[in-house]
This record gives sequence, structure tokens and C-alpha cells, in this order.
Amino acid sequence: MAEVGIILRQGVDFARQWLVGMGATPFQALVASKVFETTVTISVILAIPLFLVYAERKISAFMQARLGPMHTGPWGLLQTPADTLKLFFKEDIVPQGADPLIHLMAVVLAAAPVFVCFAPVPFGRGFPLINLDTGILFVFAVSGISTLGILAAGWGSANKFSMLGGIRGAAQMVSYEIPRALSVVPVVLFYSSLNLQTIACAQMVRWHGWMPKWFIFYPGIGQIAFILFLIASVAETNRIPFDIPEAESELVSGYHTEYSGMKFAFFFLAEYVYVFLSSALAATLFLGGGDGAAFLPSWVWFTLKTGAVIFLFLWFRWTFPRLRVDRLMQFCWQFLLPLALVNIVLAAAWITWKTA
Amino acid sequence: MTLETGIFYGLGGLLLILSLLVVTTRNLFRGALALSTALGVMAGLFVLLGGDFLAAGQLLIYVGGVMVLILFVVMFVQTPALFRAPQTNRRWIPALVLGAGVAAVFIHIFYTVPMPEETLAPAAPTSAALGKLLLGDMAVPFEVVSLILLAALVGALVFGLEREL
Amino acid sequence: MTLAHVLILSALLFAIGVYGVLARRSLIAILMSVELMFNAANLNFVAFNHFLHPDNLWGHGIVLLVITVAAAEAVVGLALVIAIYRNTQNLNAEDLHLLHD
Repeated sequence: MAEVGIILRQGVDFARQWLVGMGATPFQALVASKVFETTVTISVILAIPLFLVYAERKISAFMQARLGPMHTGPWGLLQTPADTLKLFFKEDIVPQGADPLIHLMAVVLAAAPVFVCFAPVPFGRGFPLINLDTGILFVFAVSGISTLGILAAGWGSANKFSMLGGIRGAAQMVSYEIPRALSVVPVVLFYSSLNLQTIACAQMVRWHGWMPKWFIFYPGIGQIAFILFLIASVAETNRIPFDIPEAESELVSGYHTEYSGMKFAFFFLAEYVYVFLSSALAATLFLGGGDGAAFLPSWVWFTLKTGAVIFLFLWFRWTFPRLRVDRLMQFCWQFLLPLALVNIVLAAAWITWKTA
Repeated sequence: MTLETGIFYGLGGLLLILSLLVVTTRNLFRGALALSTALGVMAGLFVLLGGDFLAAGQLLIYVGGVMVLILFVVMFVQTPALFRAPQTNRRWIPALVLGAGVAAVFIHIFYTVPMPEETLAPAAPTSAALGKLLLGDMAVPFEVVSLILLAALVGALVFGLEREL
Repeated sequence: MTLAHVLILSALLFAIGVYGVLARRSLIAILMSVELMFNAANLNFVAFNHFLHPDNLWGHGIVLLVITVAAAEAVVGLALVIAIYRNTQNLNAEDLHLLHD
């Protein structure tokens, strides 16, 4: 298999030169090529939740000693398109007494930022879309915008339980952003750059000729940082064991109780795309992102590593019980945050010792 | 009309419309959402003026932190009936005159006082240089601001506690 | 896009913030207008840095400090708002005159 990223980039360059040859200015050709790249990326990312929903249902079923969807299509493969069609045709109900503009803006605010976050992520050699110098900070900043969407969903539902779910969800997301950002600080300290491409490329070397120099293999610092990032990402995406805002047995689906049809589909889609984004970030920052033996191209390695982290996300769901909301906050502020700070001190001590 | 100027006019117009929405709307939740969007547009203007780290910081702190806090408080204290009450007090005409006067004075200054010569540098990433500055020349204000944050944290706790300390 | 354009935009933003502070009734609305004024000043700093002193980054550094101090001020202001609401159930700035008559 070939390096898809490099081939795509050469193809886009060739198309740009062809456009300039046909009479467009270089700037117009650049804009057109960027628009095309963005459209392709968003379409591919929109297709990811289809696989993820099916994978989640099948893996959850096998973990629970049952078979999952088997009826629609061979081995239930057509279940997700069928569900999508069903949600597409459902009536869009806005509750009476709710503000219809805010009811709509909540969906936009919760679902739109995640597509922007994929711009600096390097999917392999030849990607990413933009070589952003503030890559990781950009991803954290834009993904913080969806907290506003959860608050607006809680308020725009005219339902006290939804509002409670929205407030709890926003408090949880704002709290867990801090250990997530702090757990990435040792990575930034080691590689002296916020650029995701630089971080991924710097992990493509080997210790003693055979051990990959991924960040997760640094003794102590790497493992603590990876586990912190994983736990904080699970909390950020509102998955079990941190899904008090949308818990089915507690708050009847929380802040998206009153949403039906495509709006609910968008909330659902946003959650799965966030899971994919967090796994892609974990693979890039801690697992080398595209690094691997030469018999597979880099984008296949990246997909394998991202898939492994997604499997961890799905595994957590059926292994741990749900955390109560006050214990959830306690866990963040009294355990994860001091641990992240200690990890930063350890990383700084390691760097000072190595360069002394 | 280059692309830069066009984007500046577009973002600037959007910013002014959104901020007018913030100061005139009766529905405080919509006003807070408009303010969040205005701060996001402001981050775009920062990028246009060469501050990429600053734009990410503005989104992270202002939109992701301060606006979430303001929306929390709006949700706690507002009932939907209050959203139809008039939101301007008795002194809005003098306020309008004063606002227009402030704008007129500033614009007059910017048109009459000769500005120094503008030198433009090519766009460069600012993260590393900003880090060196904050921990080098600007280390004292940096530490003082951390003390301010500590004082704000303790003060908010004291004001927010329901029982006596 | 010259320096004058950006300064005029920030002046208009500041004036809108001034109107909001002086003419609004609810305390939270006044706080939001103060945030607008902070952002106008930040835009000024970044514009001066970009157009007049492109060789250093003091403008960006000061803007970071202003953002932080504004966040701290918003926190304390909102805690005060909650305390006032708990005691008087009323957030109109005109009705809070316990210190005079």
C-alpha cells in the first residue's frame, strides 16, 4: 500500500499548477485547493461515526456475551445507515416555552467545533491540512467551545431536568479541561513545540536501534501523562464512567432529552467524532502517530493506533460504574490536577537532569 | 480590496453588529451567546493581526471559561418572565450621547494626530517568542497576575459561601 | 487595513461598551459590557504591536495579562451578583441603593 498522504498532496499541488496554467492567479488556485481539501476532510470525518456506532454496538455486545445487531444486513452491517435514515425522517419537536433560536444554536455550538479541530492533526506522512504552529493549543481552544453548546441545550429545552443535566455537563467539561491540558504539558516540554507535526515526527527515532522513542515509553512521565490524558478525555466526551449529564437511569438523557430527529443525531455524531479526535490526539502525542515498521504505510499505523485507543474508550464503558457527580468533581480537582502538576515537575526535572 | 482588507471589514462589521446585540437585547441568554460569538470573532481579528497564540488563548480563556461562567449565572438568576422586562434604565439618552461622544473623540484623534510610520513584518509564529518574553522580561507581571488570580479565587469563595466563614 | 482602521474599530467597540455599562439595568448585562470594553483595549494593544513594533511581542504579553485579570474580575463580579441575588432576589442596578436614599 502506498503513502496516501503524500500522493494526495502531490495530486493537489498538480491540480493547483493546472489551475494556474488555465488562467487563475496562484492565490485563487490556493484557495480553491484548500476548499477542496477541507470538503474532503469533513466528508471523511462525517463517515467515521457510522463505523464507530457499529463498532461500539458490536464490541459492547461481545463483552456482554450477546451478539448485537444481526438482523439488518449481514452481521448487522446496515444497522447504522438504517438508524440514520430513521432519525432523518423523525419530526423535529421544539418544546413549548423554549427559545427556538437557542434550541437550534445549541446543536450548532456543540457539533461544529469538532470538525475544525481536525485541521492540525497529522494522519500520517504528507498530512495534516494545516501545519499549525499552535496545533495542540488550537485543538484544546476550539473543543472548549462545545461547552457553550451543552449549556444552551440545557437552557433551550425548557425542562428543569435538562437544565440540571446541562449545568452538570458544563461544570464537568470545564473542570476536566484542566488536567487534560496539563497532562499534555510534559509532551510540549520534551519536544519544545506545540506543533502536532513536529511532535509526531520527533517520536520517529529509536532507542538502542529497536525501541521506538514514543512518549508513552518514558519511565513514569509517559505513562502517567497518557493515563491522565485518557481519563480526562473520557470525561470530556461525557462517556461512562463520567456520563452523569446524559445518564439514562438518572436524568433521562439529560441535556438532550428534548431533542429529536436530526438534532439528536448531531449530538450523537458530535460525541463520536470527539471520541475519534481524542483518540487521534492520544495516538499523535503519546504513541508516535504514524510511526511504525516499514511494511505498512504511516496512515495505516495511525489508524491502528487510533483504533486501539478507541477500543480503550469502548472498553471503559462496560467495565467501570458511573461516578456520582460530587465524587466526579472531587476526582478531578483533588486527584487528577495535583497528579498532573507533579507530572510536570517530574518532566522538568528529567529534562534538567538530561541536559545538565 | 485585497483579501486581508475584505476579511477585516467582514469580521469588523460582524463584531459591531454582535456587540450592539449584546447591549440592546432583553433576553440575557441571547446576549451572552452573542457576546461569546463576538469574542470568537475577536479571536479571528487577532489571527489577522499576527497573534496566533493569543487567538487560541482568547478562545480558551474567554469563550471556554469566562462566558461559560456568565452563562451559569444567567441560568441561575433568570426566569423567562424577566426576559420581557425592559432592559434600559432611565438614563439611556445621556448614555447614548456619552457613548457617541467617546467614539467621536477617539475617531477625531486617530484622524488628526499623525501616526508613526508603519513597518510590517511577515507573519511568524509567536508561541516560542511569547513564552521567552513571559518568563524573561515579563516575569514580574506574570507572577503578580498569578497572585491576583489567587486573590480572586479566595474572594469568590468568600462571596459565594452560604454559611458564615 | 491600516492602523487607523483597526483603531477606529476598537474605538467603536469601546463606545458600545460604554453605552452598555451606563444604560443597562441588569448587573450581569453591565458585566458583559465591561467585557466588551476589555476586548476593545486588547484589540488596540495587538494592533499597535503589529503595525508599529513588529520586532517584539510586548503587546501580546500585555494582552495575555489583561485577559487573565479580566477573567479574575469577572469571577469576583459574578460571585457578588450571586450573593446579591440570594439576599434581595433583585438584580436591577437602580434598586440597589442601601447606602443612600
